[in-house]
Amino acid sequence: MGGMREPEHSKIVHLIGGLLVAMTVLVGRPALAHIVDGSAAGGFLGGFAHPLFGLDHVVAMIAVGLWGAFLGQPAIWVLPIAFPLVMAFGGAIAILGVPVPGVEVGIALSAIVLGGMIALAARPPLIGAALIVAAFAIFHGHAHGAELPPGSDAVAFSVGFVMATGMLHLTGIAFGLLTRWPIGRIGVRAAGLAIALVGAAFLSKAV
Amino acid sequence: MSGLLQALVEGFLNPLLTPAHVLTLLALALYVGQQKGRGAALLVFALALAVGFLAIVLAIETTPARMVLLADAAALGVMVAVVWAPKPLVWLLAATAGAALALDSPPQAVTIAAAYTTIAGTAIGACAMLVVVATVASYANADWQRLGTRIIGSWIAASAILVLAVQLR
Repeated sequence: MGGMREPEHSKIVHLIGGLLVAMTVLVGRPALAHIVDGSAAGGFLGGFAHPLFGLDHVVAMIAVGLWGAFLGQPAIWVLPIAFPLVMAFGGAIAILGVPVPGVEVGIALSAIVLGGMIALAARPPLIGAALIVAAFAIFHGHAHGAELPPGSDAVAFSVGFVMATGMLHLTGIAFGLLTRWPIGRIGVRAAGLAIALVGAAFLSKAV
Repeated sequence: MSGLLQALVEGFLNPLLTPAHVLTLLALALYVGQQKGRGAALLVFALALAVGFLAIVLAIETTPARMVLLADAAALGVMVAVVWAPKPLVWLLAATAGAALALDSPPQAVTIAAAYTTIAGTAIGACAMLVVVATVASYANADWQRLGTRIIGSWIAASAILVLAVQLR
């Protein structure tokens, strides 16, 4: 695929910077909330840390952003907007006790498939890419949703959890910007291969 | 700090420090900022807020206000994310958000005067946050800023959906 045009690159850098500033402001909130509600800060930090401590989740989330950046417009925006919504749906059905078979296998497959797509520089139609990502989002949401704590800090936990997931997407998008340069494209495709290999390792444990 | 001033500050901070309130106010403000000319939704919110506080004064107690707030946040977040703007639905959501926020903010005060002051503080805090965020969001005209608004909308909706599921469990 061709590199992104300069205005598009500038726009992406601005957006990522803006969202990081917004996150910094919002991440700062629990320190204030702690004054009036001791559980809110813990809930937020617990939710924020939750997706960061599972390597299978981390690589898959980064892969979503990377693939979006690789695909360019409009996938680069559609995927990070759609993924949290579908993931929340997966989390909700887990919380409500609806079983989804093979969640761990699905998560491992998500890393393999998304990493493989990046490594192979695959460019399916947007609807196909969105459906692939959405299907895997349900597995990721289901796995996390079952661990949401009930009670007063559930809101803070959920906000932290969703923001951390979004940050991983943005990390992938930022890394994906390297595709502007030939050497960067090689690096991004190599990262895709590494993600797929991590997924294969998790799949061997899950099966 | 006098007792009444303290009550005012506590009331002011309440909607700014309660996560469910923040989610709903942010979603409504982003929506109003995103959809130019929808400032009437702020007026609807303020009127409903007043009605909700009147209900508290009349000693209405247990309500599913928190659930309504989260449902509002989820709906408004999705509408921001997909840039979908049916006007009657927005007014309905603004009205339910205002009333629910008031009903979810009963003052914890020892005197009647302090309770009324806390209510006034909450109303001022909620409306101030709405106006400030909506104003800032209305200046988000560049492509990357509009996309950032949509992404934050999807985050708000996702967070609210997860918590709603926890509450319904």
